[in-house]
Amino acid sequence: MLKLQGVSYRYPGGAHETLHAVTLELAEGTITGLAGAAEAGKSTLCLVAGGLAPRVIGGTIVGDITLDGTDVTSWPMHHLAEHVVTSLQEPAGQLSLIADTVFDEVAFGPANLGLPPEEVVARSDEALHLVGIEDLRERDPERLSGGQQQLVVMAGLLAMRPRHLILDEPVAHLDAAGSRLVLEAITAIATAGTAVLMAEQRSEALATVCDSVAVVAGGNIVARGSPREVLAHPATIAFGIEELPEERLRRRLSKAGLDPDVVAAAT
Amino acid sequence: MSQAWLRVAGGLAVFALIAVAGMTALAGPDFDDALDTFTLAMVVAIPAGVVAYALIEYLQTRRLDSITRQFDTRTLVLMPVAMALNIVLGTAVASALKIPIYLDSVGTILVAALAGPLAGAATGFLSNVIWTYLAPPPFQSPFAVPFAIVAVAVGLLAGTFARWGWLRPRRGASGQQLAIGSALSVGALVLMTVIALRAWRIADEGRDLAPHADETAFVILGWAAMLLVAGTAIGLVVLLVRWRDLAAAYILLAGVITGVVAAFIAAPIAAGLFGGVTGSGADFVVAAFRQAGADLEQAVLGQSLISDPVDKVITFFVVYLILGAMATRTIARFPQGEYLLPLPDAEDVADRDA
Amino acid sequence: MSRIATPSAGGPTAWHDLDPLTRLVVSVGTLVAAVLLTGVVCLLLLTLVAVLLPAALARQLRRVLVTGLLLALPLALSVIIVNVLFSIEGTVVASLGPLEITEEGIALAAEVVARVLTMAGAAVLFYVTTRPSELVASLQHHGVSARLTFVIHNGVAMIPRLAERAHEVTAAQRARGLDTEGNWLRRGRGVVAVAAPTVLSAVRETEMRTLALETRGFTRPGRPTVLRVPHDSSTQRVARWGVALALVLLTLARATGALPC
Repeated sequence: MLKLQGVSYRYPGGAHETLHAVTLELAEGTITGLAGAAEAGKSTLCLVAGGLAPRVIGGTIVGDITLDGTDVTSWPMHHLAEHVVTSLQEPAGQLSLIADTVFDEVAFGPANLGLPPEEVVARSDEALHLVGIEDLRERDPERLSGGQQQLVVMAGLLAMRPRHLILDEPVAHLDAAGSRLVLEAITAIATAGTAVLMAEQRSEALATVCDSVAVVAGGNIVARGSPREVLAHPATIAFGIEELPEERLRRRLSKAGLDPDVVAAAT
Repeated sequence: MSQAWLRVAGGLAVFALIAVAGMTALAGPDFDDALDTFTLAMVVAIPAGVVAYALIEYLQTRRLDSITRQFDTRTLVLMPVAMALNIVLGTAVASALKIPIYLDSVGTILVAALAGPLAGAATGFLSNVIWTYLAPPPFQSPFAVPFAIVAVAVGLLAGTFARWGWLRPRRGASGQQLAIGSALSVGALVLMTVIALRAWRIADEGRDLAPHADETAFVILGWAAMLLVAGTAIGLVVLLVRWRDLAAAYILLAGVITGVVAAFIAAPIAAGLFGGVTGSGADFVVAAFRQAGADLEQAVLGQSLISDPVDKVITFFVVYLILGAMATRTIARFPQGEYLLPLPDAEDVADRDA
Repeated sequence: MSRIATPSAGGPTAWHDLDPLTRLVVSVGTLVAAVLLTGVVCLLLLTLVAVLLPAALARQLRRVLVTGLLLALPLALSVIIVNVLFSIEGTVVASLGPLEITEEGIALAAEVVARVLTMAGAAVLFYVTTRPSELVASLQHHGVSARLTFVIHNGVAMIPRLAERAHEVTAAQRARGLDTEGNWLRRGRGVVAVAAPTVLSAVRETEMRTLALETRGFTRPGRPTVLRVPHDSSTQRVARWGVALALVLLTLARATGALPC
């Protein structure tokens, strides 16, 4: 379990803190969602949880970050990477570009860890299977669609067998088909035991897969609860969060004087 | 800080020692041999200087931090982009434009500025190796590898100038500062041109010009060189006045020094290996020098002394523009980034990103 | 725009089966030897033994010849023009109006052309028979740092990417009315309008790739696992050292003037 307790973070040279006293828990096998408007601090929180901030981008951090009770704030990045991995926005920018095939791309992570060759192959095959892209094994990663590349990136991270996976806007740039592929894979990953933290602007995606959702605004976590509770709440619009489609429909029907409950019957 | 000075001094001492010793030991009776010897001496002296620097640091601290610092993950990710930039730009200019500049060091100088002299040198070296052995056919040049030592020298110099803050924006300079800056750098420019011409003339004396030497071509070339120098000086003053950025003066200086050094190292390689031609627009200039009565080595040196400083000045300006377009926080994360940003007490550091 | 082709590496032949490091040593050795040798005869002999023979072995003779010639052609032409037509010292052999062709000029041009052909051939031979990933795996196997091999490999991969992006930007800018023909000033502006977004987007991407690499354990000290181990053998090891020794001897011979070529 990865736990952040009272964590505040300031970017290097930043005038003020981007995150204020954030407390968050990622339990194995659960999918936690992060909702929030742009610039609310979702991406920063992902970077901090994954250890990339402050290690790779600098800045100052205050608070506790523990892994099963052990403080990890002083662990070097490559050590932390065996337990927590992060996927960023834009899959194309995360490809290593040194892999001829998807298999090689996925094997990059475990190979970096120096595992024996059979272990590297086994983990890569397992990751390809978990994410459902075995048929892409011999393809050139740069020639794939955005959704497929996102899956390749996730498989590459999973091949490291981390217990925690942090995803920053995994479906933001994907079409409906791509989103569906990725969300199905995320569910499979969590079912297999990984703890997932998923930041998304698209509320519908969060509503589909998350076990719980935290709302980030101005660097604070301002609300927490089940997806329905949080995302259907009227205050979410005030925080700049995208309204769920059925809520929008419900609201419009009420406004027009029609029966909003017909929506519940349909969904 | 004195530790760092000791290292640098040590490296420079070894470099100078081997360079001088090599040249006196191997030098032949005339200037042409001296040129070849210079390049050969550089091939040995530059790596030796770097190794000496590393050795001293290791003895001082049991680590090689000032070197490994230059090669953090961020630099390692930038280097390939820079290398590709060198190759793509260099190939495009050589094949498409028939002008006597190369524009194949933009990446080298960019990395040198952001990460440090050794990172820049490594970028230049690897670019040349890849250009010959691994680049895909439209971009491949079998003739790049022998010039790797030139790229190393360029990287080392550019990284050092950047470390000295020569690529810092210095906006808001007073009229007086701008005037002094212009005067000094134009003066340095003229001085360097004079030195280069003197070196060339020394080569000239003591060799019989062939019976059919064309005095007119020679005179025309001389005027062309003068115009080029004048043009660069005028361009600098215009930039200073328009941008009100004193950095223009420093950049000019950096470009000219780097260019002259590169010319002296590259000319013997081009002359000795390739009969003075590189398949680019510079070859016309070489032909012109030949027609004017110079022998091969002189012609190539003459051409290099015209092309290289101009090429490097343009390259430094391009790098300055690229840095200007990058966000402050991106630059700051690089090992040498702090030396590329305006000083805290400068007027407009706050609105640099505005 | 179609993707620039990566080397096909050809079929499995004895040459292809060699450790990429061996192939690299042969190619680099040939290049260095071409620098040290003078005289057309010796250079052509070198080309025959070190370039054409392996190329035939690798069944790539035609490709190496054609590509090598094409690459060397512009340079060869320039060499001939500059040195044959514009050389002024030495014994005149023929004259072409005001220009005089000398024996020395022809000899120099011939030597340089031969050298250029050898170097081009050696580089092309290596390029068409070796994939970058193969070479990188071999280098890592032989102990070269993973960071260095990453830079080399990524550097090669970036070249077509950068070029493609430049093409995309050019097309996009043209659609917005960019003028790429015309006078120098307009062309200059055109170049800037294409170069600036290309370079800047490439530089911006480095930040994300840095984070992505770090989270995948890139900075772990020690060697990463190599999945495709090259076919090295003691014979090849001996051959590689042999080439190195030969180059040292060649250098000494050249320096002391003992080289007949």
